Amino acid sequence: MSESPDHGWIADTPDALILVDAVGVVLEWSPGAERMFGYSRAEAVGSGLDQLVVIAERADEQRGFIAETLAAGWGTFESLRRRKDGTLIYVDISGKRMGDGSAADSQVLFSEKDVTQLKVRRDSKSLEARFGDLLESTPDGIVIANSTGHILVTNSQAERLFGYAPGELRARPVEDLLPERFRASHKGHRSHYFSQPRTRAMGAGLELFGLRKDGSEFPVEISLSPLMSEETPVVISAVRDVSERKCFEQALQEKNLELENANRAKDRFLASMSHELRTPLNAVIGFSGTLLMKLPGELNADQTHQLEIIRGSARHLLALINDLLHLAKIEAGKVELHPELVDCNALIEEVAATLRPQAVAKDVALELDVPVEPVVFRTDRRAVSQIVINLTNNAIKFTERGSVRMGLSAGDFGGQRRLEFSVQDTGPGIREDELATLFEPFVQGQASRIKGVEGTGLGLHLSRTLAGLLGGTLTCRSTYGEGCVFTLVVTEI
Amino acid sequence: MAARILIAEDHPASMELMRYLLEANGYSTLTAGNGEVAVAVARRDRPDLIVCDLQMPNLNGYEVLEALKLDANLQCVPVIAVTAFSMMGDREKVLTAGFDGYFSKPIEPETFITQMELFLPPALRGRRPEGE
Repeated sequence: MSESPDHGWIADTPDALILVDAVGVVLEWSPGAERMFGYSRAEAVGSGLDQLVVIAERADEQRGFIAETLAAGWGTFESLRRRKDGTLIYVDISGKRMGDGSAADSQVLFSEKDVTQLKVRRDSKSLEARFGDLLESTPDGIVIANSTGHILVTNSQAERLFGYAPGELRARPVEDLLPERFRASHKGHRSHYFSQPRTRAMGAGLELFGLRKDGSEFPVEISLSPLMSEETPVVISAVRDVSERKCFEQALQEKNLELENANRAKDRFLASMSHELRTPLNAVIGFSGTLLMKLPGELNADQTHQLEIIRGSARHLLALINDLLHLAKIEAGKVELHPELVDCNALIEEVAATLRPQAVAKDVALELDVPVEPVVFRTDRRAVSQIVINLTNNAIKFTERGSVRMGLSAGDFGGQRRLEFSVQDTGPGIREDELATLFEPFVQGQASRIKGVEGTGLGLHLSRTLAGLLGGTLTCRSTYGEGCVFTLVVTEI
Repeated sequence: MAARILIAEDHPASMELMRYLLEANGYSTLTAGNGEVAVAVARRDRPDLIVCDLQMPNLNGYEVLEALKLDANLQCVPVIAVTAFSMMGDREKVLTAGFDGYFSKPIEPETFITQMELFLPPALRGRRPEGE
């Protein structure tokens, strides 16, 4: 394997003997050098030391070794070298000038000794002496390693975290603390780190795992900070076991997913319920309609009356379904507001135009009290319109004589622009004890019970819920026997 | 000549209602109780208009629409969705899918025919029962 001349015991020396020329090209490479650096003699001879064992940042230093040895005839140095497999080792170097000393024939013989373990022990002791107590006082596990990737110092928190006895981690490769699958890339990160050391905060970067002595893994967060210790660069790693937090995070994530699924199931249920309830109503409303249209034939007065009751009840049921679904959607947070600039005069006039036929049919006056200047207000047209329709519709239903007056005003209150819609009627009014529960679902006042006025029992509740969604309020004032006034107050959204 | 209208609907009472209303207004009807039959009948008889439920066995309304619009012979036939899916957003969903019209159930028998006739050329509109 080796082509070097057999010098017997010289071949067995543990140190590396390397003969180079003045620019560092290898002329001889001993069996000891083969063992220490992993390059065979055949690979090494003819190549520059720079291409073999000198790490890039130390090329100048290496040229200095040669120059100094050539000048003085000898020299001793220490340095960091890279083996063929990428691992770093500390070496003590003795250099001797060879040949006749002429410039043309300058050669240098280096004898290099691997002092990595020696240095680890020495640095470890010195760091231990300087920082030992300090490290014990931090809650995180602390691992200090040098640039060859050897652990110099750990605190007892780190030993407990990784399951090692006190002192057991000293001088071990730091990769022993990593699961196998991360080791190769970690060596790369590590040498990169020492060429550009910088502080890296806890939790920055990838999901990391630690490996305990018993082979089990646990999720960790690590912060790194570089430190110069007696001219030896080291890195301080603070290690925190985040199993518990990861556990919480996962539980939270699962819970969120569960809620999302439950929400979706509820949506599906509401959509199906809506669909399934409407389908039979289609036949009820449809065929009572065809009968009332007298498509199959003439009807007598009783038949017409009873069919009208069927159709009215079916429509009532449909209104209930619509209101209930709307409420369910608001309560599930599924109703999105669509703010836009709304011409409120026009909105009121539209509602009045829609409902005027009902008022006219009962001989009730429907009056508008709106400013001449257009009131333009940023709100959700659909929601406001629905509330105003509901209030006006109620007012017309309950008023037998007199009028329903729809009012609109806008103004500034404490620097905030407010809009006030009011609907005033001359109906029977609401008893004081009923005012408190008026907006509760399925509560209907005395008047509706006496007069048999039909409603879903959800209209006012839905209106107040919508008002709340708009960030506004809906209130009622009434003098029993004289009528009442409902007022919607909203701010811009 | 009044139009021939295909009704695709799996709910028998709804089917009977629409069929009754259409025939009472002078239209001839074709019926299909599921989506697959609806496409087959449409191909065989080429109706002038199709009213189509959305939730049906075999092919649903959207799949029926897709098959019809891919058929060169049928792609001009108006298709109206008549559906009990009438929550917020359903109308937009139906029209975006390419249906020509959207009617929600329960239908209003008094206005169903006149609204449907908006999708027919005047020559194909039916006679009113009053006109008999």
